[in-house]
Amino acid sequence: MTILAALNRHYDRLLAEGAAPPFGFSTEGIGFCLVLNRDGTLSRPPDDLRGTDKKRPPTPMPVPASFKRPGVTPRAFFLWDNTKFVLGLGKDKASGGIAAYPAHLAAFREKHEAALGQSNDPGLQALLCFLRSWNPDSFSDQGWDTDILDQNIIFALDEDYPGQFLHERPTAQEIWRRELAATASDKQMCLVTGEQAPAARLHPAIKGVWGAQSSGASLVSFNLDAFTSYAKEQGGNAPVSEAASFGYGTALNALLAKGSDNRVQVGDASVAFWADASGIAAAREAEALAGAALAPRFADEDDDIPTDAQEARKVRDALEKLAKGMPVERASVTVDPGTRFYILGLAPNAARLSVRFWQETTLGNFASALRWHWSDLRLDPPAWKGEPRLQALLYQTAVQDKAENIPPLLGGELMRAVLNPNCRYPRTLLSAVLQRIRADGDIRPARAAIVKAWLARDARIAAPEKHETPEKEELYVSLDREETNPAYRLGRLFAVLESIQYRALGSVNASIRDRYFGAASATPSAVFPLLLRGSNHHLSVLRKKPETKRLAGWFEGQVGEIMDGLATTLPRHFGLEDQGRFVVGYYHQRSERSSKTAEEAGHQGQED
Amino acid sequence: MPFGVKLRVRGDFACFTRPEMKVERVSYDVLTPSAARGILEAVHWKPAITWVVDRIHVLKPIQFMSIRRNEVASKVPVAKVKQAMKAGHVTDLYTRADQDRQQRAATLLRDVDYIIEAHFEMTDRAGPDDNPAKHMDIFNRRAAAGQCFQQPCFGSREFPASFELWTGPVPAHSLPTEQADKDLGWMLLDMDHHGDPGGHRCDDRCVPLFFRAQLLGGVLRVPDRQSGEVRS
Repeated sequence: MTILAALNRHYDRLLAEGAAPPFGFSTEGIGFCLVLNRDGTLSRPPDDLRGTDKKRPPTPMPVPASFKRPGVTPRAFFLWDNTKFVLGLGKDKASGGIAAYPAHLAAFREKHEAALGQSNDPGLQALLCFLRSWNPDSFSDQGWDTDILDQNIIFALDEDYPGQFLHERPTAQEIWRRELAATASDKQMCLVTGEQAPAARLHPAIKGVWGAQSSGASLVSFNLDAFTSYAKEQGGNAPVSEAASFGYGTALNALLAKGSDNRVQVGDASVAFWADASGIAAAREAEALAGAALAPRFADEDDDIPTDAQEARKVRDALEKLAKGMPVERASVTVDPGTRFYILGLAPNAARLSVRFWQETTLGNFASALRWHWSDLRLDPPAWKGEPRLQALLYQTAVQDKAENIPPLLGGELMRAVLNPNCRYPRTLLSAVLQRIRADGDIRPARAAIVKAWLARDARIAAPEKHETPEKEELYVSLDREETNPAYRLGRLFAVLESIQYRALGSVNASIRDRYFGAASATPSAVFPLLLRGSNHHLSVLRKKPETKRLAGWFEGQVGEIMDGLATTLPRHFGLEDQGRFVVGYYHQRSERSSKTAEEAGHQGQED
Repeated sequence: MPFGVKLRVRGDFACFTRPEMKVERVSYDVLTPSAARGILEAVHWKPAITWVVDRIHVLKPIQFMSIRRNEVASKVPVAKVKQAMKAGHVTDLYTRADQDRQQRAATLLRDVDYIIEAHFEMTDRAGPDDNPAKHMDIFNRRAAAGQCFQQPCFGSREFPASFELWTGPVPAHSLPTEQADKDLGWMLLDMDHHGDPGGHRCDDRCVPLFFRAQLLGGVLRVPDRQSGEVRS
């Protein structure tokens, strides 16, 4: 199924659930309600509908659909709008005072005179009376709170209020439906439904994509003439019916809304995911599972929120059972592993949205893909307490660990690889992590784990018969003394040499890691002879002290054991993968060292 | 089909842009019939014949990747071209790509391998010398020798397609099960140039034709233009 078709299906589900407004209506944040008498006078001060918490958020409610208002000519919405249109007043940004917007007010009046003039509905007549008699200059005499400025306003008739707003009156809805039909363009085949229907000229703005304009950006748009063909204009280039474009826009906006459980951020891509199950409850549960799996544990970089971790563990256990093909009843989830599942990654690009990836899968496949991913990342000692969210991986590639420094496109490519266990992790991920290691010299567990994951998956894809299930996957999980790969061995050797230096000289200003790590991992033949010479000096320092004499012997044994597996001539140059193996070898050897103290190791060396 | 041909086409990248996502391009999952026709026409085409794509076999798994490219934002206006023709020189006819730049992202296909099954029909522009066997021979000879009028491409000139004449049976596909049978949504079949099937005259009256694309066992069957499955 295509992206738009799947979103449109999701909209149908939301509509059935009552969670989305019907065609022609949109959910908008409304601040105040003006309650009118039949003669158009206000029966009371404006009624504040906003939430009660500190930020006073406007209340979302379905109103006749808003539309984009490009250009300078003001165009009013139907039966609601912000105060610039309704009252002709707004806040002046520069001075903070009140500014008049006569043209906006005129547009609002004109629109409603034209639309409501024929109607004899008392509510709609009251609105017309109000508009005819309203004078913006008298605003300060009303004694209203200036909070009302720049908020969205709706109307109600005093005798109906509370209970019904003006736009909910049957006559108003009837007029609105007629307006919608009148503005419809020529019929064309809809690319989503295949039906003949009026095509949308402008597609809905999608809000909530990280980095895009806050007013929203378009998924389907033709904002420059190089994008059009056959002399077609705007939406004519991609005939999608008004109803379908409304449907996909509403669904996507709901998925991406603030605080939605159906979105995660991966690099520069905002990821929306949803399930398509026959039962709404089952789909909701599937989405909750996936949400917890994609963004397990912490909300930001804070590592220790126990409740979240426990929650994630529960979810992961359930997903793992699912992934192992356990019967649904026993998996403690009421979700069918065959539930269809959609994942859409969007990123902004110049007022438009671009699709970074689009995956249609089943919950079972999704679970098994995640299991592969997590097993690829497995490292001993572990880099994370649980399973990391994807964003945590991407931070390891970013300069100064800032989200805005994550390389663009990487998030989408990583996500694609996570969702498809037969796809290599992006090479840019490996190179970016290695580059960070060279630049700041910090070989963190998380970085080593990413490098390890990259290598493990690469090896698995190159020789699939050796690695059939994640459980058999043992490549580079913990220190492998048998591994003869020169890069891995040299990584280990480097860790031992660093350790020797530390034992001999203590903490020095610039250790061999600070000075040579980058060069040693890229051009070993140029660096290692130098390092080995230096370590002879360090060893002789150790030998001279009686308390470290045995330690020196143990170190020599270690160096000897590692060097045994190496060819006599050192490689001149290591490619990216080998630099990765170097890092993993270094990490393993170093954590081996830190797991037992060197003294104990020294004694052991003596006993061996 | 007496005059059917099979052509195997391969490439590293492909972008068969969906019309609804043609600005920030997203490719269709597989080769479209109109792109396949373009490839065949690059090997051999004359006004006397028109190519009809029957089936497209997808041999390799469908894989996507994203890139960003710099493209231009505007077209050369027709008026300027006319002006240049009238003036007899092209001094004013140019676009400055560096000053008119648009960065566009594209989600495209990686590592594609298809077999196109097609046949051709004679048009009313065929002269007395044209007969199907002759064009069949020309196509086979040219395709086997690797000759083409222009380098065939996968949806965009940056993604060249290599081709070979395929005479043997169609090899088995390596698609994973969830891709072998797949609903691909509404796919562009071709443009209808005022009812002229071999026509190449493009203007605003041209109508796109769509059909419901389904992969069945890795094969995309292309309906006949005249059949009821095709909508415009």
